[in-house]
Amino acid sequence: MTDATEFDFESEALSYMDQLYAAALRMTRNGADAEDLVQETFAKAFAAQDKFTPGTNLKAWLYRIQTNAFINSYRKKQREPKRSDADTVEDWQLAAAAEHTSSGLASAEEAALDSLGDDEIRQALSELSDDFRMAVYLSDVEGFAYKEIAEIMDTPVGTVMSRLHRGRKLLREKLRDYAAERGLYERTPVKKNKDGGACRA
Amino acid sequence: MRAVPKPECEEALDRLFEYIDHELPEDEIHRIGEHLKECGPCEAEHKINEKIKRLVNKAGHDVAPDDLRARILTTIRATRPDGAT
Repeated sequence: MTDATEFDFESEALSYMDQLYAAALRMTRNGADAEDLVQETFAKAFAAQDKFTPGTNLKAWLYRIQTNAFINSYRKKQREPKRSDADTVEDWQLAAAAEHTSSGLASAEEAALDSLGDDEIRQALSELSDDFRMAVYLSDVEGFAYKEIAEIMDTPVGTVMSRLHRGRKLLREKLRDYAAERGLYERTPVKKNKDGGACRA
Repeated sequence: MRAVPKPECEEALDRLFEYIDHELPEDEIHRIGEHLKECGPCEAEHKINEKIKRLVNKAGHDVAPDDLRARILTTIRATRPDGAT
């Protein structure tokens, strides 16, 4: 029996409900499924609370439970074809210098980003694959460190970095597209390289 | 049009996300920070990626519906182990 007087698992865990719900919305992309997922997360967390060590990171622990529940129930349900996870560290490193644009082009892009609304950001994020979307969400919204994201997603830190790089590059491309569609940003012709990334000519 | 990147630019751009995410050791933060101060194209990249991170953060918060909160409280109270208060 653990000493329950110092650490109130129930109120600590419940304090993360809004955050877990927001993450569930990003995971499932659907309000009803997000609610079911959060409920399942709390049911599992409370059933397993003896396995949690007070003093360690409860928030990351809850996210890990939710991520596993998502992978096991929802992703299976959605029958998403399993992608071969060939993301290695090298390929994004090789392509890193591709985005060294002239300052004029960059400030036009920055100005265009300012005119995009929250809905467009959410839409762009929702179009990323599960792994990219979750890595970006856990870093940008929840502020988890790479090491924590690696634990939550049960993957090496190198894979987290690769997912963040690729996810953010794709996200930026989508935001450029939205801005261009709305006439806020003039797209220069881009040719796709073999990784699907854009090389500015 | 693309400015030709120098080796320092390649390092800064390689490490840009780690820089933005505060994942680098002090000496690298310093070195890259110094480079960004003097290289317009790299600083522009830095600003754009930092802005996207901020926009994703701003758009990412939601509040759990009241009925979900109520349902969860009902569930956990039903499964609460004996002896807990």
